[in-house]
Amino acid sequence: MLDALWIVLLGMAIVFAVLGILLGMMILLNKLSKPNKTD
Amino acid sequence: MDIPVSEFLGFLNLNWQIVVMLAVGGLLIYLGTAKNVEPVILIPIGTGILLANIPLSGLVDEGGLFAVLNKAGIKTELFPLLIFIGIGAMIDFGPFLERPYTILLGAAAQFGIFGTFFLAYMLGDGWLHIMNFSLNDAASIGIIGSADGPTSIYVSSVLGSKYAAAIVVAAYSYMALVPIIQPPIMRWMTTKEERRLEMPITVGLVTRKTKIIFPIATVLIVGLIAPKATPLIGCLMFGNVLRECGVVERLSATAQNELTNIVTILLGLTVGGMMIASEFLNPETILIFVMGVVAFALDTAAGVFLGKIMYLISGKKVNPLIGAAGISAFPMSARVVQKMGLQENPHNHLLMHAVGANTAGQIASVVAGGAMLMLIPLFS
Repeated sequence: MLDALWIVLLGMAIVFAVLGILLGMMILLNKLSKPNKTD
Repeated sequence: MDIPVSEFLGFLNLNWQIVVMLAVGGLLIYLGTAKNVEPVILIPIGTGILLANIPLSGLVDEGGLFAVLNKAGIKTELFPLLIFIGIGAMIDFGPFLERPYTILLGAAAQFGIFGTFFLAYMLGDGWLHIMNFSLNDAASIGIIGSADGPTSIYVSSVLGSKYAAAIVVAAYSYMALVPIIQPPIMRWMTTKEERRLEMPITVGLVTRKTKIIFPIATVLIVGLIAPKATPLIGCLMFGNVLRECGVVERLSATAQNELTNIVTILLGLTVGGMMIASEFLNPETILIFVMGVVAFALDTAAGVFLGKIMYLISGKKVNPLIGAAGISAFPMSARVVQKMGLQENPHNHLLMHAVGANTAGQIASVVAGGAMLMLIPLFS
């Protein structure tokens, strides 16, 4: 049972960690590449 | 001369399990054609069930069509990966890139995968031993919560689950039932005031450069942290690069149409062909279908829960309903959110926000699948 709990905790931690980094990357991308009239 | 007629007359080999499976195949074809429920996948699956369960047809025996397709496309994980190229070519990440915060809703909504895994394992080898669910089986059952057929097929076949066929059918069936499963949970978890909250509509704030860099950067980030997710995310984002780069329209169109259509036919027939009466009709299969509802319900609840936290933190600027779209059932759950928002407030157009969360859920479910593939071997 403890193993399964670890998998749940680590699994959600991995998902949030990876997507958290993706969030940072997206914010950075949006800041670096602002739309202009031609876009 | 003694002629063994039962060896070449199919109907003499019928039993009640086979008759039930033939009826299930017929039901799926009926739902697809008459009720328009996921027809693109349910009609091939239903036909596959019919063909595979005709006694003495030889389709599932060594060298038979379904055995060959299973070996070539499912056991090698080829079919789900090819489908992902097509899905990537169909997805516009624009609404998602305009609202980066929605990625967190996609992350939260993957709790259904892990929560259902935990429940399945507790019913099986983990505690109660009521069902014959190993750690790998439980993880494969949990992945129904990815609300994504190809991810379910990929993860359950990599983990070698004996319930892969039931898991895939559950994943596809419940995607069609999202408009029935989600609304009661969304309504129960939110107040009228929250559901009525209007969110601003913004379109066109993302440049083409961003849309091209995003899939490439995503593959690198996801792949370097959760390498087991690389095949899925790599194929998804390859398809998206074909779409967004703007210089290979032929390839993009092929990925969206011919490739997806051909693989869908082969995949559907093969999955149907895996549903043989003697292996499919057992209590575990029924429980897998029940766990599928639990997975979708937990996904929805976790997404809305984070939506409510965002509602509070943002000073009532985020409508918690969009959290329900963090489940990757694209685009059904986004439509459910839009519909409920409009029911509460005729000026409340949540669709683009929900689509953002929905595509975030697509990426998040792949990452969750990769996380599962990373973690299960460590604890086996």
